[in-house]
Amino acid sequence: MLNFDFIGRTKIWLVLSGIFILLSFVGIFVRGFNYSIDFKGGSASTVKFKTAVSVEDVRSVLIKLGHKESVIQPIEHRSVGEFGPQGAQSSGSEMLIRTKELSSNEEKALFDALNGKFGVIDRETRTVDASWGSQITERAIYALVLALVVLLIFISIRYEFKMSVAAILALFHDIIITAGIYALVGREINPNMIAALLTILGYSLYDTIVVFHRIKENSTNIVKTTYSAMANRSINQVLMRSINTSLTTLLPIIAILLFGGETLKDFAFALMVGTISGTYSSIFFASPIFVMWKEAEPYYRNLKRKYGEQGAIA
Amino acid sequence: MTDKQKHLISLGVVALLVVLSALLIYPVNKSTKLGLDLKGGLSVRYVAKDTPKAPVTEEKMKQAEYVLRQRVDGLGVAEPIVQREGARNIIVQLPGVKDPDKAKKILGKPAVLQFAIVTDQYSSITDMKQLNDLKKQGKHVLGPVLLTGDKITSARAAYGGQIGGQPEVNLSFNNEGANIFAQITAQNVKKRLAIVLDDKIITAPTIDEPIPDGKAVINGIRSIDEAKEIALVLNTGSIPVTLDIHEATSVGPILGADALRAGVIAGIVGLALVAVYMLLYYQGLGLVTWIGLSVYGALIWGVIAAIGRAYGWTLTLPGIAGVIISIGIAADSKIIIFERIKEEIRSKKSFRAAVQSGFWNGFRTSLDADLVTIFAALSLFLVGVGQVKGFALTLLIGLVIDIITMLLFTRAVLGLLAQVWPVKIPAFLVRMRGTSEVIESA
Repeated sequence: MLNFDFIGRTKIWLVLSGIFILLSFVGIFVRGFNYSIDFKGGSASTVKFKTAVSVEDVRSVLIKLGHKESVIQPIEHRSVGEFGPQGAQSSGSEMLIRTKELSSNEEKALFDALNGKFGVIDRETRTVDASWGSQITERAIYALVLALVVLLIFISIRYEFKMSVAAILALFHDIIITAGIYALVGREINPNMIAALLTILGYSLYDTIVVFHRIKENSTNIVKTTYSAMANRSINQVLMRSINTSLTTLLPIIAILLFGGETLKDFAFALMVGTISGTYSSIFFASPIFVMWKEAEPYYRNLKRKYGEQGAIA
Repeated sequence: MTDKQKHLISLGVVALLVVLSALLIYPVNKSTKLGLDLKGGLSVRYVAKDTPKAPVTEEKMKQAEYVLRQRVDGLGVAEPIVQREGARNIIVQLPGVKDPDKAKKILGKPAVLQFAIVTDQYSSITDMKQLNDLKKQGKHVLGPVLLTGDKITSARAAYGGQIGGQPEVNLSFNNEGANIFAQITAQNVKKRLAIVLDDKIITAPTIDEPIPDGKAVINGIRSIDEAKEIALVLNTGSIPVTLDIHEATSVGPILGADALRAGVIAGIVGLALVAVYMLLYYQGLGLVTWIGLSVYGALIWGVIAAIGRAYGWTLTLPGIAGVIISIGIAADSKIIIFERIKEEIRSKKSFRAAVQSGFWNGFRTSLDADLVTIFAALSLFLVGVGQVKGFALTLLIGLVIDIITMLLFTRAVLGLLAQVWPVKIPAFLVRMRGTSEVIESA
């Protein structure tokens, strides 16, 4: 049987989480997010050229048409059998071109020019008005608040209020860290991120619940030991399971990250960070906080006074 | 009924569901409709804007939706979607449209309502579709435009005359319009007056007699709904609110196919990784998971095909991501149950007893955990916008099916295995460190 002392080192874990969160805030507030056109308006096009085209080639055409402030990025593909960055996609090179909001005519002019010069096989264009972003953000906040309220009620009824608060704190821990790492690596925030955040929310709670479920089960039978020792034993009991479930969740996410294409890459990255953080926080953040709070109750404080010495490890 | 019979029956139900899914899925190209991002096409989101002259009302939004639908129909695209979302949004989707630029222009231009006389040559044709087809071919179907819609003051759908009368539309013109209309009708008795919206003939009733007072009745309408639609158009003639394009996406077919391929490859790789992991870690039980995951996949696809057939729901790339993520969750549930069973075996129970209590204890944890994700996905589905909804929906489907397969499949298979090896589990079924001696002593 595994036996690590998780609860006994509560302070270390909390300091560690504090550092992660602090770093995340630095990322969020100092570096800031890289918002997609969905939030700030503009046009984004994926263009597939017949031959290899360089960023400079494309830029020269864009400048001629007066789109000076555009961002041009080559798109790399991966495929099974060839794990290199320039994978075996259908031949031709792809570029992602972000410009200001293009009207129908400007769009046509731009792609006619590109087609004339380099030969375009296919393209995809997305144009978003700046005002749309505020609507998306508003909806996202509604969705998050709705989910949080429902989950708080659910966990309070099924488990107990203190558990639901600890679980939700762990959730914020995970969301802040995901957002922070996202900001630090400068990936793009798009509407799919809202889906990622809510999935992380679900997963973070899922993982915490697996641990709390066991703590709740064992709490009916605390004999000659402290609450924290019982909780520590519970964590050890579900540890292998927690690692396994996280791995099986991560494997498909990594598959999406590597092979899912441009649209899903950022989404999968957020999910990956959130899943890892969610596994970590359920053991090293939610459980210690809950146990600390629970042991403030007079009954368990008494137990701690009585069995505190040998109970720490048992 | 013995446990064994119960398990066999529930496996039978699973087999039935899988067959049903297969029937729903086949043929694939009919059942599983692909979204614009995978198939190519144009998607535009219009948002109505208040102006001092024309505030947005529910009635105006309905009119706008109607006019847009008329124009979309005129484009001749297979399976177009025109739908309202919330109070102010109208979404138009044109899968597989050849020339997105042109389509966008046609959708956006102001509507024009015209009155013209059907030429004698074609006046015997009463089928509007036929008339429109001829007009499109450049035939001289209509005479010159005599009157335009801006001179109508009101149009109202009603049942004509006594009870049980035919549906009709009552029109009033302003003074100028009434004069022109009186003139037209006086000069064209027994001829047909075509009412044309955006170059499409909506109806062409026969003029029975001159109408001097600026009040006209359009009859020969099949249903009251159609009468209402015509009244709507006549009332406005054009989109009555200012529609801004807030979001427009056009995807070429080749890039769409690339995206689909990427999604499918990611799904296969994800599934393979999970399958290999389960086999390495759980051995025999891992194989059980393989069958379980196949059943799971068949059922998810079946449900997706069912809602695709019933509601025309389309699968998008985020939708595929939802399916892939739910594969991980389905594997999680199995792990929770297997680990629990292993634990119960360690506490000196027989395999049969361990499966019995281990399944239910593990199931309760999985159920709580699934419910939490279901709540999150449900919030996302209810409040989310656009493609994010597709992700939420497939994730929801995945979670519900996970609960169903746990109860019907995993439980039955484990139960039957415990019938075969009631006391001592063979090593190939599950590798357990430090338990064999416990079981032997039990």
